[in-house]
Amino acid sequence: MSPFKYADESIQSQDIMIAIPSVAIAVSILDLPGILAKSVRFADGWIAIIIAGILAVSLTWFVAKIVSKFPNQSFLSYSSSLLSKPVAYLLTLLFAIQGMMIAAYEVSSISIISKQYLFDTTPVEVIGLSFLLIVVYSVSGSRVGLFRLNAMFLPLIFLVTGLLIIFAIGFMKLDNVLPVFTTGINGYVKGTIDSALAYAGIGILFFYIPLVKDINKVPGRAAFGMSWVVLLYLLIYLVCIAVFGQATTEVIRLPLIELAKSIKIPGGFFERMESLFFVIWITSIFTTAMMTYDVAVMALQSILPKLKKHTIVFGLSPLIYFISTLPNNFLENVKFEEYLAYTTSILPVFVVIPLWIMYGIKGGKNRGQ
Amino acid sequence: MARRSIFNRMKTRNKIKQSQEQQEEFNTSITKNLDDNLKSIKKMLGDPTDLVTRELIIGGIEKRAAIIYISGITDEDLINNNILKVIQENLMQYETGILDKIHSEVVAVTDTDKSNNLDDVSLAILNGHTAFYLEGYEEVLLMGTTGGESRSIEEPESETLVRGPRDGFVESIFTNMALIRRDIRDPNLRFKKHEVGKRSKQMVVVCYIEGITNPDLVNEINRRLATMDIDFISDSSFIEQWIEDSIYSPFPQILDTERPDSVSASLIQGKVGIIVDGTPFALIAPMSLSDGLASPEDYTQRWMSASLLRILRFLAAFIAVFLPGLYVAFVSFHPGMIPSTLAYSIAASREGVPFPAAVEAILLAITFEILHEAGVRLPKVIGQTIGIVGGLVIGEAAVSAGIVSPIMVIVTALTAIAAFSIPTYSMSIALRTFRFIVIIASGALGLYGLILIYIMMNIHIVNLKSIGMPYSIPFGPLFLKDLKDVIIRAPFTKLTRRPKHLEPVDDVSKDTSIK
Repeated sequence: MSPFKYADESIQSQDIMIAIPSVAIAVSILDLPGILAKSVRFADGWIAIIIAGILAVSLTWFVAKIVSKFPNQSFLSYSSSLLSKPVAYLLTLLFAIQGMMIAAYEVSSISIISKQYLFDTTPVEVIGLSFLLIVVYSVSGSRVGLFRLNAMFLPLIFLVTGLLIIFAIGFMKLDNVLPVFTTGINGYVKGTIDSALAYAGIGILFFYIPLVKDINKVPGRAAFGMSWVVLLYLLIYLVCIAVFGQATTEVIRLPLIELAKSIKIPGGFFERMESLFFVIWITSIFTTAMMTYDVAVMALQSILPKLKKHTIVFGLSPLIYFISTLPNNFLENVKFEEYLAYTTSILPVFVVIPLWIMYGIKGGKNRGQ
Repeated sequence: MARRSIFNRMKTRNKIKQSQEQQEEFNTSITKNLDDNLKSIKKMLGDPTDLVTRELIIGGIEKRAAIIYISGITDEDLINNNILKVIQENLMQYETGILDKIHSEVVAVTDTDKSNNLDDVSLAILNGHTAFYLEGYEEVLLMGTTGGESRSIEEPESETLVRGPRDGFVESIFTNMALIRRDIRDPNLRFKKHEVGKRSKQMVVVCYIEGITNPDLVNEINRRLATMDIDFISDSSFIEQWIEDSIYSPFPQILDTERPDSVSASLIQGKVGIIVDGTPFALIAPMSLSDGLASPEDYTQRWMSASLLRILRFLAAFIAVFLPGLYVAFVSFHPGMIPSTLAYSIAASREGVPFPAAVEAILLAITFEILHEAGVRLPKVIGQTIGIVGGLVIGEAAVSAGIVSPIMVIVTALTAIAAFSIPTYSMSIALRTFRFIVIIASGALGLYGLILIYIMMNIHIVNLKSIGMPYSIPFGPLFLKDLKDVIIRAPFTKLTRRPKHLEPVDDVSKDTSIK
C-alpha cells in the first residue's frame, strides 16, 4: 500500500529535545564518575560537571541557532554556501567518519562490558555482531522511527537511573563528600575537560535540525534537552562519590554498574540487580549507536546522492563491525573512547565557529528558504 | 518467449470470443415480448431450481405479466400479500401507462425501481428483489423484497463483558447498520457503500461521522477498498488483510470486533468502521498497539478499577511475551540474580530434567499451543477431554516422568493465562508468536538477547502503521494528553477531548464551559 500522510510524519522540535540526551547518554553514564574522581578531590567534581555542562548547553544552543536558519537544507548545501564547496565536502566526510566511529565504539563497548558483566563463555564477536544487526535493522527503517525509538527508551533510562539513585540513598555517607573546595585549579581544568567529553553528540544537530517542522523552537529545546544530561550526570556523580568515596570511585571502571551491584532493594526479592540495570542501560547505548550510524548514512547520502539509503546502510555495517573489533580489552577501549571523545567535542566547535563568522560576514543573504 | 506470448494472446483472444458467443445467445436488453424476456433471464441465471417464475394475467386489460424471484432470499409473505394479491385483485381501467400505474398505485412495497437492462435485473434478483415483467413494455419493475432466514441478535461469543450491552453483530449487514444507528442518532453518521467480490458482489459499508473523523482517513480507506480485487470474501478478515499497511508483521493493524458498542465508541472518537455483509465481525481502523489491549469493560467499570485493570493488562501482555524468556535467561545465564532460597528449589526441581531450560520452555510452550488449538477446534461436547489430557496427563505425568520441571509448568501456565487476558484475540496470537523468539534469544544470549529482542520489537512497532497512523501512538510520537485514556482511564468528566492522534476535525467531545 502506498504511504499515506494523514498522521504527522515530520520531526518536531520536541523530538530533537529528546534526541539530544539520547545521543549524549551512552557509555559515559557508566564511567564518568570514575574518570572525574581521578582528577578532582572528594565531591568537587560537581563544579567541573556544571562548568562543562554550561559549555555544552551553550554550544548546543549556538549550533542549533545557526542551523535553524537553514530549514530544509542538507548540511552539505548550507555549509557549502557559507564555507565553499570543498570545505563542505570535507566536513561532511568528517562527520560521516565520526558517526561511524562512534557507532563502532558503542558496539565494541557493549561487547566488552557485556562480556564482563553478563557472560563468561560467549565470544565477544557474537555479542557485538548481534548488537550491530539490531542497530542496522533500526537504521534501515524510517528516520522518524528513530526519533520515536528515542522517545520510547529515554524515559526508561531516566526512570531506571532515578530508581537506582533512590535505592542508593541508604548507602550514602556524608564523610565521603566533605570537605568541599579542596581541589587545585589544575584539577578543576582537567575535570572540566574530562566531563566535557561526556557531552558528545552535538554533531547530530547539524544534520537533523533542517528536517524539523517548527524550526524556530529548536535552539531553546535542544539546549533544554542537553541540560537534562547535565542534571543526570551531576546526580550520578554525587551519588557514586557519596556511596563509594573518591578513593574507591577512582579505581572502579564503571562506577554506576558497581553502584547497582552494591545496593539492595528493600524487601529484596531479586539479588544482584546490576545485570538488570545494565541491560536497560544497553538501550541508551543502542540509541546513541543508532543515531550516529544514521548521521553517517545521511552524510554519505548527501555526498553520494545516487546511492540508495539501504545500500549505504548495509555497506557501512561490515566496516563498522571491523572497527568495533579492533579494541581487544577494556583498556584499549578506553583509549579508543578518549580519542573519539576529543574529536566529537572539538569537531562541532570547529564547524560552528566558521559557520557563525561566515554567516556574520555574508549576512542573511544566503538564507535558504 | 515471443512465440509463447503470441500463442497466449491467441488463446486469450479465443477465450474472449467464446465468452462473447455465450453472451450473444440471449438478449441483454429488455424487449416487448414477455416470453423472450423470461427466456433471457432464465438463460442468464441457468434456470436454477430456486428461481420462481409466476405468470399471471392482469385483470381488466387481459395482459400477460410475470413475477420472478429467488425463493429463500426473499420475503415470500411480502410477495404474496403486497404484490401478487394486489395486482390480481385490481382491475385496470386504462390501456396506456399501466406499468407506471402499477408502480405508483398498486404495489405495496416501499423500495421499488425500474430498469430496462438485464444485468441490473439479474443482479437485483440475486439480491433478493422481485422482478415484475409486463407484456409490451421494455421496462421491468424491481421491488425490494429482500428477506429470508437469518440469525437473531445474540450475545457476542468472542468478546464477553461482565457489564455492558449484550447485543452483538449478526451476518446481515442491514441489521448491523441498524445496530450502529440505534447507538448514534446523529444526522452526520455516514454509511458509504462499496461492492467487493468479483463473483460474490458483497456489500461493504464504511461508516464514520462527518465532522469528527479526519476526511483524509476516510478517503484513504475508500481508496484502498476500491483496489480490492478478489472473488469472494467469507469474512471481514479478507478486507483487513487486503487493506492493511504491512503484510510482514504479526500484529493486527486493523481491529476486529463483534460488538456494536465498540464500533460506535470508536466512531465517536474519530475512527472509521467497516461492516461487511455476511459476517458478524466489523473492522475498526486505524488502531494502535494500545487499542489491542483495551476492552469495552474499561468504560463500564468505575474509573479507578478500570485504570488498574488496564495497567494489569499491560503487565499481562509483558508477561505473555517475556516471562518464559526471563526464566530461561535467569536459569541458564544469571542464576546469581535469583534469590538464593528460590534458586535452590529451582535447582532441585530441575534435577533430572535432561534438557537445557530453553528447550524445556519451547517444548512446553509448543505443547500448550497444540492443546489450545485442539481445544478451539474440538466440538464443545468433547472439549472437556482436552482439559483432562492437558492438565493431568501432560502436566502431571510429564513432571513426574522428569521431562519438565514443575517450575517450568508454572511459568508456562502463567504465560498462558496472561495471553488469555488480552482482549483482542489477534493481538494475543501475535504476542504468543513473539514469545518463541524471546525464548530462543534468551536461550542463546541470556538477558542480553532478551533486551535485543525487546529493542527489535520496538523498532518493528515504531515502523509499523495502521492506515498511515503510527502503531506506537500515543507513546511515540508522544501525545501526552491522550495517555489519560490509554495507560489509565480517566474519569469521564476529565475526558473532554477526542484523542488528538486521530487528528479529528472537531476534537471537543464535551463542552466544559456550559455547566
